[in-house]
Amino acid sequence: MDSISYYLQTILNGILAGCIYALFAMGLTLIYGVLNFVNFAHGELIMWGAYFLFLFMAEPFGLPLYVAIIPALALTGCLGLAMDYSVFRPIRRANRLTLLIAAMGLSVLLRNAAQFFWGAEVRTYGFEVIAGTQFLGLYLTTTQFAIIAVTLICVVAVYLLFFKSRLGKSMRALSDNLDLARISGIDTKRSILAAWVISAVLAGIGGILLALDTNLHPEMGIANLIKAFAATLIGGVGNLWGALLGGLLIGLAENIGVLFISPGYKDGIAFVIMVLILLARPYVILGERSD
Amino acid sequence: MIEIRNLTKAFGGTRAVSDCSISLDGLTISGLIGPNGSGKTTLFNLITGLLKPDSGEIRFLGSRIDGRLPHDMAALGLIRTFQLSRVFPRMTVLENMLLAPQGQTGESLLSLWFRLPRIRKEESENRERALELLELLGLTRLHDQFAENLSYGQQKLLELGRALMAKPKMILLDEPTAGINPTLIRTMIEMILKMRERGQTFFIIEHNMDVVIEVCERVFVLDHGEKIAEGRPEEIQKDPRVIEAYLG
Amino acid sequence: MDLLLHLCVIIAIYAIFALSLNVEVGYTGLFNFGHVAFFAVGAYTSALLTLSGVPFVWSLPAALTMAGLCGFLLSIPALKLQGDYFGIATLGFGEILRMIFNNEVWLTKGPMGLPGIPRPEFFGFVFDTLPRYLALSAGFALLTFAILAFVVLSPFGRALKAVRDDETAAEILGKNAYRFKIKSFVIGSVFAGLAGVLWAHYATFIGPGDFTLTETILVLLIVVMGGKGTFPGPVVGAVALIFFQESVRFLRLPPEWTRLLGPLQQMIFGLLLVVLMVFRPEGIIREKGGER
Repeated sequence: MDSISYYLQTILNGILAGCIYALFAMGLTLIYGVLNFVNFAHGELIMWGAYFLFLFMAEPFGLPLYVAIIPALALTGCLGLAMDYSVFRPIRRANRLTLLIAAMGLSVLLRNAAQFFWGAEVRTYGFEVIAGTQFLGLYLTTTQFAIIAVTLICVVAVYLLFFKSRLGKSMRALSDNLDLARISGIDTKRSILAAWVISAVLAGIGGILLALDTNLHPEMGIANLIKAFAATLIGGVGNLWGALLGGLLIGLAENIGVLFISPGYKDGIAFVIMVLILLARPYVILGERSD
Repeated sequence: MIEIRNLTKAFGGTRAVSDCSISLDGLTISGLIGPNGSGKTTLFNLITGLLKPDSGEIRFLGSRIDGRLPHDMAALGLIRTFQLSRVFPRMTVLENMLLAPQGQTGESLLSLWFRLPRIRKEESENRERALELLELLGLTRLHDQFAENLSYGQQKLLELGRALMAKPKMILLDEPTAGINPTLIRTMIEMILKMRERGQTFFIIEHNMDVVIEVCERVFVLDHGEKIAEGRPEEIQKDPRVIEAYLG
Repeated sequence: MDLLLHLCVIIAIYAIFALSLNVEVGYTGLFNFGHVAFFAVGAYTSALLTLSGVPFVWSLPAALTMAGLCGFLLSIPALKLQGDYFGIATLGFGEILRMIFNNEVWLTKGPMGLPGIPRPEFFGFVFDTLPRYLALSAGFALLTFAILAFVVLSPFGRALKAVRDDETAAEILGKNAYRFKIKSFVIGSVFAGLAGVLWAHYATFIGPGDFTLTETILVLLIVVMGGKGTFPGPVVGAVALIFFQESVRFLRLPPEWTRLLGPLQQMIFGLLLVVLMVFRPEGIIREKGGER
């Protein structure tokens, strides 16, 4: 392969990774916007999404991929709802430290539950690796083609949902001001539930795509949480399009970065970007009381 | 002492403070009045560094202070209270008071190990002064209570006491008598007057005109972020622009 | 008997670790989810130095300085973030550090880890038996307790609490919140480093796998369960949880169970955190004045 197409391939890989990070980041930033806290267990939704698909494709179900995706995503959505119902709703008005530690605990619980059922080993969905098709001198596997297509579909769907539907309007109102939205008669409960479902499904889709492209293991969630977070930080917290852009940037930076540094540090690039952004920011005093 | 020139701050499209100029030179107690939403608290937030102005300047004792962080303002001698009192609820009344003195040796991590006698001395002096002030505020009995157990009015008194503990050159009070009972309003006013005798200067946002007339030498009136009038309280009360602002 | 002594050593080390986190989480309200990083820095620094022949008397202060320095350097960017975001930044730092331990093979031997770390020696006296090591770690635990209690009860500690409870009000009273948080973070990091040093010279082997998020969660659970923002809280938490964790290890269960036991234990820890937060967020020992 000549060097130009080598670089183009790197960029393409960056975009592919970026699409997946964008899906994670959009879900994370959505919950932050509506409920004003970082869901540390978001990574576990990513991971469980991938494992749910594994569950339905393996015996006793043995469903084909295209069928198994439906119950897998449905269950991921339910997991998001269950998290809210059992943990976050009872402590919605508690202080931030409480919320955060609870989210952390939930993350530990879910991650180890996956390890308990499926073991710590790296798994795949058991597809044979299909040779990529060549396209303008670049290699693109079916999965990778699907990543781009699905991300585009998700972005359009999120756009329609948020900016063209009544539900989206009330969710946006909610993220502007929870109390105000409540008094102005918006069904906050329904909007919050919807936010959880959307966030979880986006995480599940991203997790499945990632697992299809690479593999699944119980730690995949937590590793990607940091990247999703860095992406939301780039794009401005609570901003959906910012998250999309941030995700793509992180993906590109990682893939271009490994041309220059050891691949062992690939997962650290997002963190370094995050630190650089932070260094440029002034210190902002917390406006509200912490308790 | 405080000199504000052409200060402007906008949120979104609306100007909360608009081209406002105020000079507190040579005044001991100045008042700031205006209808709800006229930008009084925003002005306080700008002066104390909680907000950064869009344009204009603020001088305190001659030097520019706009854009600095609040802790710098306190170090320079500018302390404020809040409309809804912000005492530390999980600390005792005395601890709240002891937090305020500036430049405490014991707050330096290094000095903790090498200057213990001096820290002890400072602490006991501060303690003594805190108890004196609490006595004046009628809070002595409550000194070891957690601040959250105080009534709302008592919390506002504590906040005033805490501000005084800092030995500031200027205290900004944001509605010191709002929402508290008449007895405590009396305590509050007497405390302010007593401190005036000791040379303490104040800048006070106040709705209660009786209080304004009793304590303020000069009053500034804000409406829609603009200063529409200033003068002695009695004059201000009769000023047609002020009356219009409140009624219209 | 040996088992009991071993248990006490581990409890002493984790008590130091938890006390250091309590300064940050309990007294300053910093959500540090990467505390294990500083434990690791302490452990690796002292291990590498003593392995290359530097006496323990020098490796110990070097390790503490290194841990403090790392804390300082991380806190400068990270503390510009509030709350949750600070939590993620510290979490990320913990992961990065593990990456360095794994990748810089020339220094750390990578995933192979560092075996044969010598026992501590103070001017010819070697802490090589269990009772001696217990004396050493218990001594350091007491010292840590005393130092941190002194710091927290001082005007400095009072200012930390003020920053924790209402940052705006603290700023208005002239407290530079950013600086106080950095200092608190550095103190926490130094003592986490101390715990790490004691761990490394006790285990005599360390590898990147010893310093995962799991350790952070354990120490966080110790602090939160014991009662954050209280003196005895972290100690009580350490006794309870380490007793539980280490006794499970000595149950002599069949090997096919142990594969499940690890995740199961972690599930219990996670669940405990969630249940505590929902039903008793203040922990076993309640901070005075902290009604909520």
